[in-house]
Amino acid sequence: MPAIRVTNLTKTFRTKHKAAGLAASLRSLVRPQYSTVEAVRNLSFEMEAGELLGFIGPNGAGKSTTIKILTGILYPTSGEAEVLGFIPWKQRRKLAYHIGTVFGQRPQLWYHLPAIDTFTLFGKIYELEDREAKKRIGKLSEAFEIRDLLQIPVRKLSLGQRMRCEVAASLLHKPKLLLLDEPSIGLDVVAKQHIRDAIREMAVHENVGVLLTSHDAGDLEALCKRVIIINHGQIVYQDKVSTLKRSHLTSKLVEVRYAEQVPVDFQIPGTETVKVARERYGVKLRFETRHTAVEQVMAALSAAGTLVDITISDPPLEEVIASIYQTAS
Amino acid sequence: MKKYLAIFKINLLNNLAYPAELITRALMILIFMWIFFQLWAVAFSESGTGFLSGLSLREAIWYFLLAETLELGRPRLARLISEQVKDGSIAYLLNKPYDFLIYQLFAGLGESLPRMAMLFLLGGGLVWAMAGPPPGISGWPLAAILLAGAWLLHFCFNALIGLAAFVSEEVAPFEWIYQKFTFVLGGMLIPLDFYPVWLQSISKALPFAYMMYAPARIFVKPEWSHFLQLLSNQAGWLVLMGGLLILAYARGLRRLAINGG
Amino acid sequence: MMRELRYLVFLWKMNLSAAMEYRAAFLTQSIGMIVNDGIYFITWMIFFDRFPSVRGWTLTDMFIAFGISASAFGLAGMLFGNAFNLGEIIAKGRLDYYLSLPRPTLLHVLASRMVPSGMGDFLYGFISYFASGQLSLDGLGRFLVGILLATTVFIAFLVTIQSLAFWLGTGGTFTALAVNAMITFALYPITIFNQAAKVVLFLVIPAAFMGAVPAGFVQQFTWSTLGLMTLGATGFLSLAILVFHAGLRRYESGSAIQVEV
Repeated sequence: MPAIRVTNLTKTFRTKHKAAGLAASLRSLVRPQYSTVEAVRNLSFEMEAGELLGFIGPNGAGKSTTIKILTGILYPTSGEAEVLGFIPWKQRRKLAYHIGTVFGQRPQLWYHLPAIDTFTLFGKIYELEDREAKKRIGKLSEAFEIRDLLQIPVRKLSLGQRMRCEVAASLLHKPKLLLLDEPSIGLDVVAKQHIRDAIREMAVHENVGVLLTSHDAGDLEALCKRVIIINHGQIVYQDKVSTLKRSHLTSKLVEVRYAEQVPVDFQIPGTETVKVARERYGVKLRFETRHTAVEQVMAALSAAGTLVDITISDPPLEEVIASIYQTAS
Repeated sequence: MKKYLAIFKINLLNNLAYPAELITRALMILIFMWIFFQLWAVAFSESGTGFLSGLSLREAIWYFLLAETLELGRPRLARLISEQVKDGSIAYLLNKPYDFLIYQLFAGLGESLPRMAMLFLLGGGLVWAMAGPPPGISGWPLAAILLAGAWLLHFCFNALIGLAAFVSEEVAPFEWIYQKFTFVLGGMLIPLDFYPVWLQSISKALPFAYMMYAPARIFVKPEWSHFLQLLSNQAGWLVLMGGLLILAYARGLRRLAINGG
Repeated sequence: MMRELRYLVFLWKMNLSAAMEYRAAFLTQSIGMIVNDGIYFITWMIFFDRFPSVRGWTLTDMFIAFGISASAFGLAGMLFGNAFNLGEIIAKGRLDYYLSLPRPTLLHVLASRMVPSGMGDFLYGFISYFASGQLSLDGLGRFLVGILLATTVFIAFLVTIQSLAFWLGTGGTFTALAVNAMITFALYPITIFNQAAKVVLFLVIPAAFMGAVPAGFVQQFTWSTLGLMTLGATGFLSLAILVFHAGLRRYESGSAIQVEV
């Protein structure tokens, strides 16, 4: 049985429109103007039990709305959804016993108390036996390396330490499904790595399904086997991460600065010149690693002048999605 | 000077931009005035003569209106400043090319004036309907002068309490207690003239009487000699509190500079 | 039911621990509140010194009514502190956190915060009752019952008003107004109001259930008073639960406030 089954899910919001100012306020009282937002449009997908699924898309794509529907906080305009066999908006409380949630922007640990107190609280919330809860806390402290942090007031922990405690807390009641929303936001590279590894370990170990929504491609790569890309309320891409990497995350963006000025029509074969800086000391170009070898581009760039500075980056996720969306339509 | 006027203006406009908020606050004064009227109508009727300590019911209610207008209209400066001290945003304000205290003064005025005007107009409308027309025009300018002085005294006290955040974690209890002192010793809920004589003497020796009682009393019973007496007392307290404020402010700045906030 | 109660007790203990992390602040707030209430009450002592009876309502009645109101207010803050900012929680979407947990939402939200000064108000209520001189064992028992029922009505009223946020957005000032009105009405002698006003004080802003009615009950037991208080408590509680859940349904349809897509 799939952990999540979504069929033709649609969610439309009707919001009241109001411009600023007194005149507009009065007008809106008498004749309110509504605008309709189709947050989710005929969405269908499945997630297997124990699967590690990424659910990504730009802001406004419909991610949060879908997650809220799956957790039963919102009910859909039409369509069906089943999570762990429950209809979320009809059986929210029953479902709540079996899912865990971590929202990067909304902490659940009590700020002024040591993390252990929130853990104990969660034990009571999910009605675990005291002994069982204690054992569980022990196990999670090992897995997330937070044993020494438990007695420290949460406000004194670093963001990375806090997030580890947050994720650990969300797993206290052995949920079958874990929903992570931007878990690594604001974390430094080391902390991100740390928390991704811990999540992955636990997920595999305890066969917990993980549904991850994130802007961070690194989260995606580290934690997910499969990814769903959503934009404008619809699925625009659905495949394994390995495939995504192979077929789409293959372009590179290169920015170089030379000691001398370059010609206005600067071009390296096999690459696309994005921009030549106004003073003509810098160039930005893009190329596909599938078509043009990195070695080739580097050699040509060095030959073109005295390199002073170079930056190589992957295209931002929004760009990838945009390109995916274009190829899809 | 121009920048302070600009600060005054922007706070003024900010307040006017939320008419719903202003009106909701004004409703508060309607409720208070109505309750006061119910209470004092009974108290006055049980006195038999219709006068208590020389005041008529009508005068008493207009007294309360002025006192409440000031109380509900004054800016909640203590909380504002203490928050700015505690979260460090005061450093941001101190970096600007204006004096922090004068900034707060003009900002507070911008917030206060429309609010007090609204409170007085709406409240006055109700009071007129319930108790009768307002006192004669001759008293208004005198009352206005004392009201300004009272507002400034409130400003000094509140700013001092706010600055206490430099030395004390919790400032809110001081704010509450200060407010209650102005209620009791300022004659906000009961005109000082109704107090037992010994308590009246104590009140008149303290600043609170000049923050509530003075403008309200002159408003309903304008008397030149009384006015001058109240004004001189008020001015004296203003000099004292103003001086204390400047001292505390300088101290606080030094502390900030040493500790780095 | 027992499960929920045990969970509530645990939440309350956690709130207390969190407050104790800042012991000094907690004490300052509590003691400050006691002093604050005491000074405020002095106004009434001055009043009743001058006017011993307001259509039958005396200083003794005041001590007890004030005591009930203060303790009820304090108890609400201690046990269900989020009743004071439920509107904000709804408007800022922070209800989602509680909705994703397997506990009854309203109870969980309300009990997740403790107002530190609540202890002060709660204790002051008892001080006020003892000061009335009406102390007796069964009187104390009735005082406790009175507090319980008054607290219920007060929280129910708060929840109802705050739940309007589901439809109106924040309206924070409006809530403050309603709460202020409630408390003010509860602290004035009910005898000053005419019949029409009394209806409002029983059915709309149930201040009568927070001050006058329990105060009468403390002084003398009658089945009808007990019945009236219980009716008021259950009535308003039912209304609150109804309104909140109606609002929650609206929230779940997504048409409530800001939409985060």
